[in-house]
Amino acid sequence: MKIQILKEIIQKKSSKEKFAVLTNLINGNSEIFEFGKFLSKDFESSKKEIENYHYLKKNGVIDGTQIFIQNYIKPIEVIIVGAVHISQYLVDLFKNLDFEVKIIDPRKYFITTERFPNIEIINGWPEKILKKLQTNSNNALITLTHDPKIDDPALRYALKNKFFYIGALGSKKTHIKRCERLKEAGFSEEEIDSIHGPIGIKLGGKSAPEIALSIVAQLVSETHKL
Amino acid sequence: MKKQLKRTILEQANVWIESNQKVVLARVIHTWGSSPCPTGSSMIINEKGDFFGSVSGGCVESNVIAECLELIKNNNLFKQIKFNVSDENAWDVGLACGGEIKIFIEQINS
Repeated sequence: MKIQILKEIIQKKSSKEKFAVLTNLINGNSEIFEFGKFLSKDFESSKKEIENYHYLKKNGVIDGTQIFIQNYIKPIEVIIVGAVHISQYLVDLFKNLDFEVKIIDPRKYFITTERFPNIEIINGWPEKILKKLQTNSNNALITLTHDPKIDDPALRYALKNKFFYIGALGSKKTHIKRCERLKEAGFSEEEIDSIHGPIGIKLGGKSAPEIALSIVAQLVSETHKL
Repeated sequence: MKKQLKRTILEQANVWIESNQKVVLARVIHTWGSSPCPTGSSMIINEKGDFFGSVSGGCVESNVIAECLELIKNNNLFKQIKFNVSDENAWDVGLACGGEIKIFIEQINS
């Protein structure tokens, strides 16, 4: 592989583009593939199959060829509402799993760079901030303040914008009340049921890192259902 | 600005190259049965034998490193290597998972 290709992969990965790397296993030539891009003669005869594998996000040697395709997909973007203790552990766990993370909290004393170095933090009300962000079904929302005036607007936004995962921290009682408020706000039972609440899989632990782990485990298991 | 704390495998390859070291990229291109790392898993090896990343659960890494060093020594550009349960080398280094993997190794060159 040429060093230029390697550098291009690094650059495209860091700018979170969707692309694939093609390698001709007979002569060792590699190139970057994107939908609509012109292919060199090493690959052009298999254009249809390449596009199909890329569409299906399938890695491997394309059937009947000597072309290896490796897909790079956009990472899942997790929005955490609440710059709390659990969030500090979430940041570390998500980084190792290649998830992008943003944290929103209107409380200035929670959301500091000292508590959250090397991560995008946004001080403000989720209601206003979320409208400015570009979100889609590649997004996940985790609400952790269990304060309705901070969490609820974020939950309503995520439901309306079809986030692929929505989880809310809080006891069973808190969650029942939350569901009632969302019902009053006009959300269907099906929509409300799509919220993971109380958030996380059952591990049994109650410490901040244990809760963080249970949330990450749940989100990862949901990504494999996609 | 967001800083990256950990280098990815390819970023590490770039760091080695910029310090004038020869680097080989090894990628899993095909798997059968219960091989531990999915297709696309990668590992990089420099001329000193330092490595980063993985292509199996530790089962065949030492063989892959030896193959990569050989590739640099003979100044070859690329090679395909296959490991399976009946492969003596794989057994020697403990491919006990019952899977088979095909790995493509290639030099990063200018």
